[in-house]
Amino acid sequence: MQLIQRRTIYALILIASLAWIFISADRAGTSTAGEIPAPRQGFLAPDFTLQSLEGETFTLSELRGQAVLVNLWATWCPPCRAEMPAMQKMYEEYNDQGFVILALNMTYQDTPSAVLPFKQEYELTFPILLETNGKVATQYELRSLPSSFFIDRDGIIQEVVIGGPMAEALLRTRIESILE
Amino acid sequence: MLTSFRNLFAPPRDLILVIAAIWIGLWLAEKRSEKHGISVNDLNNIVFFPLIGYILGGRILFALENLSAFAQNPQSLISFNLDLFDPIGGLAIALIVAMVYGQRQKLSLWPTLDALTPLFAVFALGLGLAHLASGSAFGKETSLPWGIQLWGATRHPSQVYEILAALLILGLLWFQKSESRPGIYFLTFAALTSGSRLFLEAFRGDSTLIFGGLRTAQVVAWIVLAISLYLLDRTSEKFISKMATRSDG
Repeated sequence: MQLIQRRTIYALILIASLAWIFISADRAGTSTAGEIPAPRQGFLAPDFTLQSLEGETFTLSELRGQAVLVNLWATWCPPCRAEMPAMQKMYEEYNDQGFVILALNMTYQDTPSAVLPFKQEYELTFPILLETNGKVATQYELRSLPSSFFIDRDGIIQEVVIGGPMAEALLRTRIESILE
Repeated sequence: MLTSFRNLFAPPRDLILVIAAIWIGLWLAEKRSEKHGISVNDLNNIVFFPLIGYILGGRILFALENLSAFAQNPQSLISFNLDLFDPIGGLAIALIVAMVYGQRQKLSLWPTLDALTPLFAVFALGLGLAHLASGSAFGKETSLPWGIQLWGATRHPSQVYEILAALLILGLLWFQKSESRPGIYFLTFAALTSGSRLFLEAFRGDSTLIFGGLRTAQVVAWIVLAISLYLLDRTSEKFISKMATRSDG
């Protein structure tokens, strides 16, 4: 290819690319993240209403204004068990700053009678909610236990951690981030 | 179909695909490394050492950035949590390690990059598959018939576009006729990849925006494209004058 021909083609490519950048600019900021409920970072956390072991009703959207960790777990799952002490420690440390943990026991695939002894064994003081029909698990596209969703004060998921156990430093950094 | 693909792998499904891509890419690169004057041993080392640097550097830099959290629980430093990681910092460390290794072994820049290009091309493909499996790098909403249901809306299958572009680039490079000018192979990959990113970013629903709606990735891709084309032009010029000098001599 001749020198001039080649340089003309390169220049045309760059001009066309520049035009494409301006044509495809997202002036309205049309990203729907943050508006649609989806179990994904940047999206609104799907809402749910569940009962705790003690019979108290919790609705996620009613906790707007607080930073929430939604943790999906089961008593038979070793990493779920392993991360509970660190979660309890963080709950005690950050609860007065507006941090809440909703630990959703996957009761529909767990032994319901094992949940209360588990709570007592680990001396957990945060609410343990019972997911009895798998609806919330479907909403949150549960594929692995434990699964944790760090939700900020506006109800937006800021971080999703699939698997575990979560290290204390991970919990601390993520909690401090959603409390900001 | 998307759900079936995503269910094929257990989390961290994206990591599994990226590791597989590195392995296949390295295997392909090995097949042609000698042609670029790089030994298989050097090729493996220039991938392996930076990879170690990436893993260790990413974790250490994350710990330094969150010193108070790690000071209260130092054993978190050796936790298996993949999220305790600074990917940009890790990448910077990997590049430094690669440069130090390259200098110590006296590896020439362009032939080394040419030898690594099959790895980069397969890695780009693996990244697209990883995005598809995890649902990240998702598209903006569309009413087009090939839109996919993802994250509560019908969206452009941006990950599929990414995979198709990566496949096309890999095919073009793999079947490209033999090129004696060092750097051409890598620069062609860089120009094609930045060009495809620049075009396809327009269909993404998760772009980071700057200056009243411009997509950051497109701006960066344009700069990479411009540099690649400039270097391609310069390399061609140098080669032509070298050939002319030889024929005159």
